[in-house]
Parts: sequence; structure tokens; C-alpha cells
Amino acid sequence: MKNNLVQLIVFLLFVASGAKAIAKEVLIISAIPDQYPEKLNRLYTKLANELSKDLNIKVKYKPLVNYQAAVSAFRTGDLDLVWFGGLTGVQARLQTPGSKVIAQRDIDAKFHSVFIVNTKTNLKPIKDISELKVLRGKRFTFGSESSTSGRLMPQYYLEKAGLQIRDFKGSKSGFSGSHDATIALVQSGSYEAGALNEEVWKDNYNSGNIDVKKVIVIWRTPPYSDYHWLAQPDLDKHFGKGFTTKLQKKIIGLNKRNPKQKEILELFSANRFIKAESNQYKNIEKIGRSLGKIR
Amino acid sequence: MKALNITPPIIAIIPSLVLLPIFIQIIQDFHIGGLSILYNFINASINPSINHEVIINCLKGLRVTFSIAIFSWSISLIIGIILSLFSSYTICRILNIPQLVATCLRRFLTLTRATHELIWGLLLLQIFGLAPWIAIIAIIIPYSSLMARVFSEQIDTLDNKEILALEQVGATGSQIIFTSILPKILPFICTYGSYRLECAFRGATLLGIFGLGGIGNNLRLSIISLNFDEMWTSLWIMFIAIFILEKLVIYIQNPKLYLNNIGKYVLTSFTILIILMVLSLKWIVITDSNFFSSIRFHPIETLKLDNFIYAINYLHWLNLFRETITISFLASSFAIGLPPLVLMFCPNRFTGKVLSLFWIFCRIIPPPFTTLLLLLCTTPSTSVAALALGIQNMGVLGRLLNENINKQSEDLFQSLNSTGAMESISWLYGKFIPQSNSYLIYSIYRADVILRETVVVGVVGGVGLGWQLQESLSSFAWEEVLLVTAAFISISMVGEIISEYFQQHLQNLD
Repeated sequence: MKNNLVQLIVFLLFVASGAKAIAKEVLIISAIPDQYPEKLNRLYTKLANELSKDLNIKVKYKPLVNYQAAVSAFRTGDLDLVWFGGLTGVQARLQTPGSKVIAQRDIDAKFHSVFIVNTKTNLKPIKDISELKVLRGKRFTFGSESSTSGRLMPQYYLEKAGLQIRDFKGSKSGFSGSHDATIALVQSGSYEAGALNEEVWKDNYNSGNIDVKKVIVIWRTPPYSDYHWLAQPDLDKHFGKGFTTKLQKKIIGLNKRNPKQKEILELFSANRFIKAESNQYKNIEKIGRSLGKIR
Repeated sequence: MKALNITPPIIAIIPSLVLLPIFIQIIQDFHIGGLSILYNFINASINPSINHEVIINCLKGLRVTFSIAIFSWSISLIIGIILSLFSSYTICRILNIPQLVATCLRRFLTLTRATHELIWGLLLLQIFGLAPWIAIIAIIIPYSSLMARVFSEQIDTLDNKEILALEQVGATGSQIIFTSILPKILPFICTYGSYRLECAFRGATLLGIFGLGGIGNNLRLSIISLNFDEMWTSLWIMFIAIFILEKLVIYIQNPKLYLNNIGKYVLTSFTILIILMVLSLKWIVITDSNFFSSIRFHPIETLKLDNFIYAINYLHWLNLFRETITISFLASSFAIGLPPLVLMFCPNRFTGKVLSLFWIFCRIIPPPFTTLLLLLCTTPSTSVAALALGIQNMGVLGRLLNENINKQSEDLFQSLNSTGAMESISWLYGKFIPQSNSYLIYSIYRADVILRETVVVGVVGGVGLGWQLQESLSSFAWEEVLLVTAAFISISMVGEIISEYFQQHLQNLD
């Protein structure tokens, strides 16, 4: 009996160590779940195939259900390369010292959020930030609670305009969970107003998913730095010397002349990826700290 | 003047008065904005997606959730039985173990039990990373301690005479346990234990919603995309699974199976348990080949005293406590008061059957979803959170009441009915009154569970300690996370003490 137990433990340890060794030959990529899961699945599976082809390793996409899980799983080393938002990227870097900012999209250096309203509110587009006060007493929704463009920056500008969360109807704001859901909920009238990522708005607008008779943009925020790729500090150790640089070159090298790469870039709403630095996100960190999302 | 005497059946129905404040609040906040989405949701219930891929995906999710549920449930059952022996005063006396051991173990188990599986899941996720076994451990910790409590209480209420007699003739401690105590409580363990399997399934689904795999994950993905037809595919599949499970459990609990052949019954149950355990483990490993790979510890940063002090001053504790207690009060009253009221107005067998299907639906829709659906047409408030939590627990209590009423004889009801009394009145006097006391005792225990479950709706409903936990976790403020968890544990413990007091009071009425 005792002997069997020892054998079982040895077996389990064997399985454990074996699985670990195999796991490290695979590059696990992931992303914060900011849009409809089906779209993310399509996009990142394509990207994983593309990276796998040129880097000669297995690349696997691991879908996640919330933003915070992305930060935690990056810290625990379950994910190797993650597409983070501004805020989650800063959170991840603080928790995983030495992790490397690989790239951002051409649009991320000057990113915007938009405030949208349901047309039944009869609110008109505004010119000055102080006019955001018109949203007082409205049913308002953010996206995910850790979203940079769907919560952090909108809340920052709302507070700048003198509007606190308790000023919304019910003294609370909603959290729709994703940018797409924010559009759907404001368009249907579940919420009277909301804030989201401008790229997701444009994307939905161009593909005809938005009924302009029901939902309009009333204000666009000033620019800030947002999304970026973040890699684990020790990728070179696992995948060979110079791997991180090779990976960065590959991502920045994606271009629209190649049909497969064009498809990926279009799903990212980008023309190309460009180099990025962690100090571009100093301001996000400051705002994150002032709103209590970074400690 | 004769003092007004409030009896258990009245106490059981009075709580339904909370319908008033809940609905006043919800109607006040009601708006027609979300009606079109709500219409889509209802419409999708009769037109779920029958896409081959979607169904296969749901079935795979269901398999993962069931494997997690069965595996963690069977381990909890075994640990629960072992722990119950050491936390029972009777056993300690028989085995000459100091009573202090039982007392200490009981205190310790209160702590592990007071923390909801979702909190365990979220915390373990932070320390160990994404791994399927986290869901299993998260369920095992509170479930095994809960079972230990219930079983040890059963052992301690056993008749002492038989044990004393055996001791007198010189039987050893282990002989007494195996010949006198275990045969008496094992049938109870089987019936109560089988109830917990469905709870474990609900727990595993919930953990899936928060990222730990299974059908909860499917549900979550479909609601994020407002993809209701796929969501209903998952819900219908869960409905069928729970329906079958419920029938099986009723079959297992049939006294005919174990009367006069306890030995065989226990042996069969034990064999089935072991087979289920092995099968579920196999399924988990098939779904996730990395199952054993990620047992790695990832410490969080060192905690700072300053941050604790800051968190104590910064959070609106009074408000958080008030909201949490209000939610659990409203939800408990809703869940306790409605089942007898509804059954009273639908007293016949057919409506009873329809209702038992309805209770299944109440139970399978996870409260965070009910909250999200309600939020389509109203604004976040404690009432919304309470209603969502109340609906699921109403399903639990409704099922229990229905089953217990079906088990008792119909004589009293029939004789009242034949005197020409209204059917609902005959139901009240003939069927409910004999059950009302035991229903209330269980209800109070349920209220205790509801207090713990407020974390689940708080997370999406934007209210109470549950919401604060989510905010603190997403800000990675560990000191706050610990304080909020401690706050949860302490109110759960206070809740448990209060509920024990009421239970004893009611038992004395018996």
C-alpha cells in the first residue's frame, strides 16, 4: 500500500516535470478580453500561426475572461507575450519587473476614447470638456473596470469636468465588460451614455453595426498612449539567445503587402506596429495612481 | 387579552413581504431602454443555437464542469467524514482524545467554511496562476469543512445509550465507531452528500464564469457578446443535466434501498464514489494535459503596514457592511418566503411538477447573470443584487420544500379538502404546517449561506463587500484584499452564530 503511494507520487512528479518541459517549447500569447471573444479568437489564432511560421516554434493563443487575469497570469509566468492596455500593461510591469515593452500599433501613441449617448437623451455633441456635466444624473456605463480607454481615461476626464461616479443615476456607474457591449447597451437604451475605445467605435461604425439614429458620439478625449505588447523578461533563456529581439522584429515587420499579414493588421485596426517604450506610459501610471487603480 | 402567537408556518411566509421594498425599488429604477435586449433574451430561450459546433462546445464545457464538480465533491466527502470524526465530541470521548481537539477543529473549520468558494478561487488564482486544480481546491476547502460540521452534528445527536452499553462490554473505540456510529450516520451521509453534488456543480459553474474553465466560461463568453441563443444552448444543456441529476439523487435517497442492508448500500455507494472520482480525474486530465504541471508558488509582494492603515481609513466600511447585510436580508427573505406562498397558490400535483422544473431554472442561472439581465432594465442597487441572489436560493428552498412535502402522506390534505376547504387552505394546513418547522430550520441555515454568497452578486452588481473585493483585486491592492476577505469572514461567522441561535430555538419548539 505504502509502496503504491510512493509510486503514485513519483509518477505525478514525473508527469509534472515532463509537462513543464514540453510547455516551455510553446510560446503562449494572450490579450486582454476587450472585444467580442469570437473576434479575438479569430485574430489571435491567425497571429499565432503567423508568428509560429517565421519563428519556428509552436505559438498558442490562450483566451482569458477578464483583464485582471491577464495581469496575474503574466506575473505567474503562464503567459509569455500579452497584448495589454495602457493601465494593465503598467500594472503588469510593476508586478513583473524586467518585462519588456515590445511594440504598439501606429495608432496607440495617440489614442482616444469617445463618449457616446443614446439619442433619446437629446444630448448634442459638446466642444469643451467642462460640458461633460450634461451627463449628470444619466445612466452611465464604462467597459471593463480595468480598461484604460473604457474606464481609466474617461473617469479621469469626467473628474476633470467636476463629475464624480456618484453623480450618475443610482450613484453608480455600470461596467459592461467590453467595448462592444458598451455600444450595444447604449444603443439599445439600457444605459443612456457610456465611454469606450475610439477604434472599436470606428470599427463598428465602418462595418455598419451602429444605428446612428440611436447612438451618437458627443465628445472625444485628448490623445494618450494605450495598448502595447509586453513580453516576459526571460524569453531568451527559454527560446534561445536574441529571441526577444527576433520576436520584436517579426511583429514590427508585419506589413500590408502580405495578404495574411494584411488581414491580421486590419483586425488590429492598424497600418503597422511600431517600437514602444515603457516611459510612454508614465502619465497613465500617474492617472492610475490618482484613481486608485495602481497602488 | 390573548397574546398574538406567531407560529412557524406564519414565520415562514411573512418574509415574502420583502417583495414590496424590492419591487418598489426596481419599479422606481425601471426603464424601457433595455426591453429590446430583454426581448431578444426571452426569444432566444425558444430558439437556442443548434449549431453543431456550439453544442459540442457546450457539451465539452459541461464535461469539464461536471468533472471538476464530481472530483472536488468526492474528495470533500471523504475529507468531510474524516474531519467530522475528529470534530465530534462523542468520538473524542470514545477515543480518549481531549475535547479540546474537537473544539479547536470546530473553530478552525468555521474559518475555512465562512469563505465562499469564489473568494478561495480568486485568491488562489493570484498565488498559483491559472490552473484547473485551483477550482477543485477552491471547492474542496469550504465544502469539506461544511460537510464536517453537518456530519459531526449528526454524530453528536446520536443516542448515547447504545455507545455506553458497548463500552461497558469492553468494545474498543474503533469497534464502536465501525459497528455502532458509522452504520447509523452513513445513510445520512449518503443522502446529504448527494445534495451537495448539485451545489458543487453550481460552484464549479460559477468559478468557470470567473475564468476557471468549463461551461461557466461558455456562459460568460456568450453574455459578453450578448449572444443569447448560444447562452440558451448552454442553459438548456445544464437544465437537462441537472434534471437527470435531481432524479438520480431522489432515487439514491429512497429508504427502501438501504433499510435492512446498510452494509451493501454503503459498499455500493463507496464503489460508485471511487469510480466517479477516477473517471472525473481522467476527464480533467484529458481536457487539460497541463493539469499537474503548474503547481508553482508565486508570492505576492510584501505587505506594508502603512497600506493596511490607509485601507482601513480609505474604504467606506460602514457602507460596505450595510449594503452586504441588506442584500443578504432581502435575498434570504425572498428565498424563504416565496416557495410556500407560490406552492400555496398552486397546490395540485401538476402545478407542483411544473414548479419543480421552474426551481431547476432558478438554480442553474448563476446570480451574476440574473444581475446583468436585470441591469438591462434598471440601475444597479442592492435590490437588484438581492433579487438575483434570492431567485437562485428560492430554487434551492423550493425544491427542498417540494420534495419533503411529496414524501409525507396526503391524508391530512385529503381530509381537509373533502370538508370543502379551498385547495390552497387545505394545502397550508394539510401539507405545509407539518413541514413548516423543519423548513424554517433549513431556511435559517440557508440564510447563512446567502450571506456568504453576497460576494457573487456584489462582483457584478456594483454593491457591497463583493464589489470592493473585485475593485481591490483589479487594483492589486493586496492589503485591501486581505482586509475585505477578513471582513467577509467575520460577518459570516457572526451570521453563523445568529443562525445557530435561531435553529436551536426552533428545534426546541419541535
